[in-house]
Amino acid sequence: MIAKLLRKVFLVDLFQGLWVTFRNQDPKRIYTEQYPAERPKVGERYRGAPRLNINPDNGETLCISCNLCALACPENLIVVTSQRNEQTKRKELTTFTYDTSRCMFCGLCEDACPVDALELTQDFELASYTRDGAIWDRQMLEEGPKPTQYKC
Amino acid sequence: MPEATFLDATELVINMGPQHPSTHGVLRVILKLDGEKVNGTECVIGYLHRGVEKIGENRTYQQFAPYVDRMDYVASVSNGLGYCLAVEKLLNIEAPPRAQAVRVILTELNRIASHLLWLGTHALDIGAITPVFYCLREREEVLKIFENYCGARLTTHAFRIGGLQYETYDGFEEEVKKFCDWFIPKVDEYEELLTNNRIWMGRLKGVGVLSAEECKEYGVTGPVLRAAGVQWDLRKAQPYSGYEQYEFDIPTGENGDTYDRYTVRMEEMRQATRIVRQAVDRIPSGPIMGKVPKVVKPPVGEVYVAIEAPKGELGYFIVSDNSTQPYRMRVRPPSFVNLQALDCMVRGGLVADVVAIIGTLDIVLGEVDR
Amino acid sequence: MADEQKPEGSPAPPPSGGEAASPMGKPATPAPKPAVPKPAAAAHAAPPKPPAVMLTTPWESDITELLKEHFGGDITEFSTYLGQSFLVAKPDAVIAILDTLKLDLDFDYLVDVTAVDYPKRADRFDLVYILYSFARNERIRVKTVIPDGYTPATAVTVHLTANWLEREVFDMFGIQFAGHPDMRRILLPEEWQGYPLRKDYGILQQDDGWVRENLGIESGQ
Repeated sequence: MIAKLLRKVFLVDLFQGLWVTFRNQDPKRIYTEQYPAERPKVGERYRGAPRLNINPDNGETLCISCNLCALACPENLIVVTSQRNEQTKRKELTTFTYDTSRCMFCGLCEDACPVDALELTQDFELASYTRDGAIWDRQMLEEGPKPTQYKC
Repeated sequence: MPEATFLDATELVINMGPQHPSTHGVLRVILKLDGEKVNGTECVIGYLHRGVEKIGENRTYQQFAPYVDRMDYVASVSNGLGYCLAVEKLLNIEAPPRAQAVRVILTELNRIASHLLWLGTHALDIGAITPVFYCLREREEVLKIFENYCGARLTTHAFRIGGLQYETYDGFEEEVKKFCDWFIPKVDEYEELLTNNRIWMGRLKGVGVLSAEECKEYGVTGPVLRAAGVQWDLRKAQPYSGYEQYEFDIPTGENGDTYDRYTVRMEEMRQATRIVRQAVDRIPSGPIMGKVPKVVKPPVGEVYVAIEAPKGELGYFIVSDNSTQPYRMRVRPPSFVNLQALDCMVRGGLVADVVAIIGTLDIVLGEVDR
Repeated sequence: MADEQKPEGSPAPPPSGGEAASPMGKPATPAPKPAVPKPAAAAHAAPPKPPAVMLTTPWESDITELLKEHFGGDITEFSTYLGQSFLVAKPDAVIAILDTLKLDLDFDYLVDVTAVDYPKRADRFDLVYILYSFARNERIRVKTVIPDGYTPATAVTVHLTANWLEREVFDMFGIQFAGHPDMRRILLPEEWQGYPLRKDYGILQQDDGWVRENLGIESGQ
């Protein structure tokens, strides 16, 4: 009874809470990441900017224009056009349009691609100044976005 | 609409508009006040209505899965689990045991993340500014695990119909165990900050009382129902995805007031950690994907599957007509039904209590409006 | 492929049963007689026309006994599909059925009220009530079939949960509920025209129209 009254008068519960706050003031345990000075390390499987992969040996695109990614996309934002190569009797990719403004980065296109040509990389800096800048063509997809680097 | 003209001096109609830091989203509450006392409220919702059910009728079953995450965007893994379970039931298949174990781990981690966000924002609304930093710091760790597993932090799209898409990454078990060990002392820290604090108790005790009968009348489920004393949890009553193998308790409260909901959710975080520890110790080996046809065309029929999401009973009612797209995709959102009880809980209280009660119901407008 | 694995009960009366009904006789006996349904099965095996139906099995329990006693002909079907039981009732009897279920059989929690639109049928909407009983730990569905323009009675008198759920059904389908305290749109603005979840509400033309008007570009869909 007396203990309860003393605890009430001397604000023991409030000081208990304040002690928790003071414990966390250690400057070595600052949790904030200083972006853009240090770029965060995203996971390996991060679903970021799309990229069309190129065969490292001969520099040609890996895409076989099967159109499976376009069929898998819930938003129908991939448009693949191809033409038939008469010598090899195979389809060759001509244009590949990907609309990142409507993309939800769900990864269904990446899962659907049979040859690992389309991949969602770890780039997350995708901003652009215009609406049209968000619609990526084949060149942009192969090179990737090049955001401005800020050196602090 | 509340009928009051500005000449009526006793009653004031005030709009707690859609843009308000305490309404947890775009919720508009029209308050009828008598001074500081609340006589009645009316909720206007629909500011975040995106037509998810209509979209569902125009996408294939696999294509619809990313949309499901975006309803309750705080606990997207749970939404995904409910959807995959519903479609698997329609197809009459079951995910393999390894997939079920990993699903349980990720869903319980998601429950912890959802409750952490609830605690942070609820405390912030009441006025305690510190807990939100600590809760979000803990939540970062959970989101890092999700990012390493499936590539996205918030709208995860972690599960596929029939199992999992991704195998667990190297170091998954160690990271999850490390998180569990690191997390439990943090819950104790929050309890130290808040539970016996006289301001916290003064703001929360006796506020927004909803008895068990009223809960059942209004169809309120989840921690709100458990705080009223009803020991009911869908994970125990109708277990799914292997929950029957794990031991855990169902915390309940006594009075059904806001303080009890706080203690129930804190205890749920501890129990969720317990489930994760048990599950991660014995993940069976085996395939991660069941036998699902490439083109998912369930036979004609309808099914209703419900899971215990962090907010309550999340149900999917899917009607199929043997085509690749669902004929009707109905989502039974827990927050929508829980929000109905707001009017009943708020009467007779003060304006400041309205904020506390909206926070304690743990609503996410993405789910209320779909 | 999953069709054949399911336990075959007597198919429910509607459409495809129509052709095969005459050789099979009344589906009063639940056990499928192997000899007689064969011609029917052959007709089903290569069906150019009969629409596929839900392969339900009949449902019998103390719930069905009590309801049959009280309501008799008002309930047209008791079935189970994939372990989930439902009953189909006539629209006028639904509120009385919900009341009986709540008071006598402990189904005190109304989980959901929703509707499904079948525009090609004469009775266009399928109104579905999902109920759960805490005591029995069981979930059932009460379905009824109503035409366009019919106003079913509100369930608010039995379960308070139905308030917002019926408002949403009205908002999305246009089914008005008689006796509801506050029959207004809930998710869409008050002045919205049309009922989105009906099948004749085009999803793409709405998007194209709005985008063209307000953004001045062609929608990417």
